[in-house]
Amino acid sequence: MGVMNRLLNKTLVYYSFSAIIILLLSAPFIYYTLEKLYKDDVDEAILLRSDEFTRNNQPTLKITDIPTWNRFNRDTRILPDTVKSEPKNNIIQQVFLDTLVPEWEPYRVLYKEVTIQGKPFVLMIRLNLVESEDLIRTIVWIYLGILFVLLLVIFFITLFISNKLWYPFHDTLKKVEQFSIESNQMPVFKKTRIKEFNQLNNSLTKLIQQTFQSFELQKIFIQNASHELQTPLAIFQSKLDLLMQDSHLQEPQLKIVHSLYESVSRLKRINKNLLLLAKIENNQFLEISSISIKEIIEEVTPYFSEQADGKNITIHTQFKNNFTIQCNKTLIEILIHNLFLNAVRHNILNGSIYITTENNRVTIINSGVNTPLDKNIIFERFKKGSNSPKSTGLGLAIVKEICIRNVWQIEYRFENAMHYFMLVF
Amino acid sequence: MKILIIEDEQELANNITTYLKEQSYQCELALNYHEAVLKIEIYEYDCILLDLMLPDGEGLQLLEILRNQPKQHGIIIISAKNTVEAKITGLKLGADDYLAKPFHLSELGARIFSVIRRNHFGSSNHIHLNELEIDLLAKTAKVKEHLVPLTKKEFDLLLFLIGNKNKTISKAALAEHLSGDMADMLDNYDFVYSHIKNLKKKLAEAGCNDYIKTTYGMGYKWES
Repeated sequence: MGVMNRLLNKTLVYYSFSAIIILLLSAPFIYYTLEKLYKDDVDEAILLRSDEFTRNNQPTLKITDIPTWNRFNRDTRILPDTVKSEPKNNIIQQVFLDTLVPEWEPYRVLYKEVTIQGKPFVLMIRLNLVESEDLIRTIVWIYLGILFVLLLVIFFITLFISNKLWYPFHDTLKKVEQFSIESNQMPVFKKTRIKEFNQLNNSLTKLIQQTFQSFELQKIFIQNASHELQTPLAIFQSKLDLLMQDSHLQEPQLKIVHSLYESVSRLKRINKNLLLLAKIENNQFLEISSISIKEIIEEVTPYFSEQADGKNITIHTQFKNNFTIQCNKTLIEILIHNLFLNAVRHNILNGSIYITTENNRVTIINSGVNTPLDKNIIFERFKKGSNSPKSTGLGLAIVKEICIRNVWQIEYRFENAMHYFMLVF
Repeated sequence: MKILIIEDEQELANNITTYLKEQSYQCELALNYHEAVLKIEIYEYDCILLDLMLPDGEGLQLLEILRNQPKQHGIIIISAKNTVEAKITGLKLGADDYLAKPFHLSELGARIFSVIRRNHFGSSNHIHLNELEIDLLAKTAKVKEHLVPLTKKEFDLLLFLIGNKNKTISKAALAEHLSGDMADMLDNYDFVYSHIKNLKKKLAEAGCNDYIKTTYGMGYKWES
C-alpha cells in the first residue's frame, strides 16, 4: 500500500489541478478574442475614415493642397502612387517608428488608390494599436485576477464545507477506531441529517451490538461451562481418591489410577484458568489498592525456588527500585505468578531466571529452548510454545488479558539465548 | 464422631460418605434443604459439611439456622465458588472452614479433623499417637518428651497425614495442601517428596517408628 491520502486532500488536489488548467487555457483565448474584436473595431474606423475622405475631401482637394493636408493629418496621408510595394485596398498590420518616443509601434493600415484632379495617388489611413494592446492586457489581467480569486474562494469554501459535511463521518471513524470489545462500552455516534452517514452509523451500531451480544454469550458460556464442569470434576476426583484406597490394586492398576489422577489435575487447572479468564473479562476484580511489586515477587520467590529445585535452576532477583502500582491485588499476583511459573516450567536443567524491577517495569528473563518463540501466538489461548503436558495453554493468555484490562504492556523478545518477558506498567 | 453432609449432588455425597466412614466417622446425608433442617433440629453433629450452592440459595439460609443454634458443631462450607470474597462471606457467617470444589477427599479429611479437634479440645489440644505427641496450638511434635524440630511445612504435612490415617493420600493433594493459595500454580509435585523425606528423617532421628508408607507412584499413607 502506498502513501495514504485524505479524501479531502485528494479532492482539493484534483480541484486545484483543473483550476490551473482552466486558467492557463483561458488566458490566451481571452487575449486573442479581445484583440480580434478590437482590431475589427479599428478596421471599421479606418474604413469609415476612408469613406469620409472619398465623400467629403476627395472632390475638393487639389494637388497643391496635398503637402498642407499631409502636414496636419498624421494618420490620413496622401502619398504618391510610387508606393507600389504595399498591397492595396486591404487593411494590413504594419509597424512604424514613433518619432516622439523612438519606438516601433504596431498600426492597422489601409492603402487605397485614389485619384485627385485626375492624377493617381495613394491614400494611407492608419490607426495606432498601442493603446489597444494596453487595454487588452489590462482586461485580461483583470479577468484572470477575478478568475483566480473566484477559484481561491471556491477552494476554501470546498475545504470548509467538506470538513463540515464529512464531520459526522470522521467522528464515527474516530469512535470506531477507539472502540474495543473489552471496554464494554457502546460508542455513541453523533446524530446527522445526512442519509448515508445515518445509514452508516445505524449499520455500525447494529454490528457492534451483535458483536457485544456474541461476546457476552461467549463469556457466559465459558463461565457456565466451567461451573458445570466443577461438579463432575469433583465427583471424578473423589472417585479416584476412593479407588486409590483399594488395597487390592496391583501396580498396573495403580499406574492407570496415577495417570487418571494426573489428567484430572490438569482438567482442574484448565477449568480454573478458563473460569479465571471469564472472571477477568467480566471485570469481577474491582477492588483497587496500592501494591508493591517487589513485595509480591519476594513473597512467592521461595515457592517457585522450591519448584525450580528439581531442575536445579538458579533464581536471581534484583530490585533497582521499589515502586507501587494501583491495581487489583489478586490480578497482579496472578500476573506475576503466571510469568514466574512460565519461567520455571519452560526452563532447562541447570538453567537460570533473572527477575529485575526497574523504572515501573518488571523483566523476567529465563533460559529455555534455544529458539525464539513466536511472539504473535504465545499470548493466544491454547497456543502452547512447548509440548509440556502440564501446561494449560492459558497462562500467558491470562497475563495478556490482565495487561489489557489495566492498560499495561507485555513484550516478549529473545536475546542471547534467553527469553525476555518485559512488563511495563 | 457424627458428620452431616448437606449436598445435593448425590454421587459426590456418597463418595464423601464412603471415604469418611472408613475413617470411623458416622455420616448422615441430607440431599436438600428440608432434610437438612429436619436433621439439624433433631440430632447433634460434630461437623456439618454444607454445600452453599444448593438450589434457590438455600445453602445460605441453612448457614443462618446453623449459626443461631447453640449446638457445638463445626461447619465446613463446600462450594463451587472459589473466590476470596465467597470464602470471607462464608467465614463471616459462621463457617469454620471453606473448601472449594473440586477438592481431594484427603483435603476434606484433614479439614474435618482439624475443625473437630479445634471445637472439642479447646486450649489443651494434644494428639497422642503411640510414641508421638502433637500439640496443635503450639504446633510442635514430641517423641518421648523430645521435641522434633519440624519446619512449618513438615508440621502441616504431619497433620495432614494423621488427619487421613491409613488412607493413601495422593502427591497432588499433599502438594496442593502445602501450597495453599498457590495451589493453582502447581506444576510439579517433586517438592512433596523432599518434604516427606525430611519429615521421615526427623521423626526417625527422634526415635519414632516409621509410620509413613509410600504407595507406588501415587502418594503416601500414615499407617498405625
